Amino acid sequence: MGKDAWAPLVEVTRAYQFSAAHRMHNPRFSPADNARIYGRCNNPNGHGHTYRLEVTIRGRVSRQTGQVEGGPTLDAVVRAQVIQRFDRMNLDPLITSADGPTSTAEALAALIWRILDGALVAGQLCHLRLEETPSNFFELDRDDLNRPSRPAITTPADRGQKVIPA
Amino acid sequence: MIRLTKRVEFCAAHSYANPAWSAEENQRVFGRCSNVHGHNYILEVTIQGEPSPETGMVMDLKVLKDVIVEAVVERFDHKHLNLDLPYFKEKIPTPENLAVVIWELLEPRLPGRQELRLYRIRLYEDGSFYVDYYGERAANG
Repeated sequence: MGKDAWAPLVEVTRAYQFSAAHRMHNPRFSPADNARIYGRCNNPNGHGHTYRLEVTIRGRVSRQTGQVEGGPTLDAVVRAQVIQRFDRMNLDPLITSADGPTSTAEALAALIWRILDGALVAGQLCHLRLEETPSNFFELDRDDLNRPSRPAITTPADRGQKVIPA
Repeated sequence: MIRLTKRVEFCAAHSYANPAWSAEENQRVFGRCSNVHGHNYILEVTIQGEPSPETGMVMDLKVLKDVIVEAVVERFDHKHLNLDLPYFKEKIPTPENLAVVIWELLEPRLPGRQELRLYRIRLYEDGSFYVDYYGERAANG
């Protein structure tokens, strides 16, 4: 099937929703600094969001199936690895220090990238978009992660900045 | 440089089968997609270019819409992609392949101005699944 030797390169995206709770809080900051920096997101009892996630893979279209390798299994991988893990959960204990100091959407996006990059066909994940609310969304490309100058996660004190008390 | 996008919808039926395979093999690989079924496709056509100093537009969206309707919507809307059209005799009518066919139909019909080019075809099969194609140039670049 298919006489043409040229296989087009396409990107395939699937979109999901999951609901989870979190509280933004960095134990390295004082309670007053946490309250000042994170504001309402530092509410001691937490709060939650219906997150929306788009996962994009890139690959050549197979002449045998008309599909991208990994495309047909993408949905099962995301559901098993991401949706099952985070839906109706408290995110705070699931975020690791490698991803960020607290459960920001930036940290969650980094964690989801790490999980999916390990579970999908190697190198195929090309883009993630995580919407915390319809008006706040966060995007990662493979190129972002390949930048060697990705800064280490620090606190304002680590950066030598004076932490102004509230 | 700016990008503008026109969105249209069309409805069509299709089924997946590789004629080189047995019925069992097709069923195993394609599952329920081997049944004849249909979608409300949403097509987003993105043009990249420089706005004209005279009109302030990269391309008149009405002209872009007319091109898309003539080249794509009228051709595919309420059709059976496998049976009614010549494009999927040798290819399976997946959104991946359909996005490439749409690119090839649209690109030669766009105004041949240096400051304007087809940038992306985004084809939604449903609200949670879409394919992007950036053309051969992007694929080989």
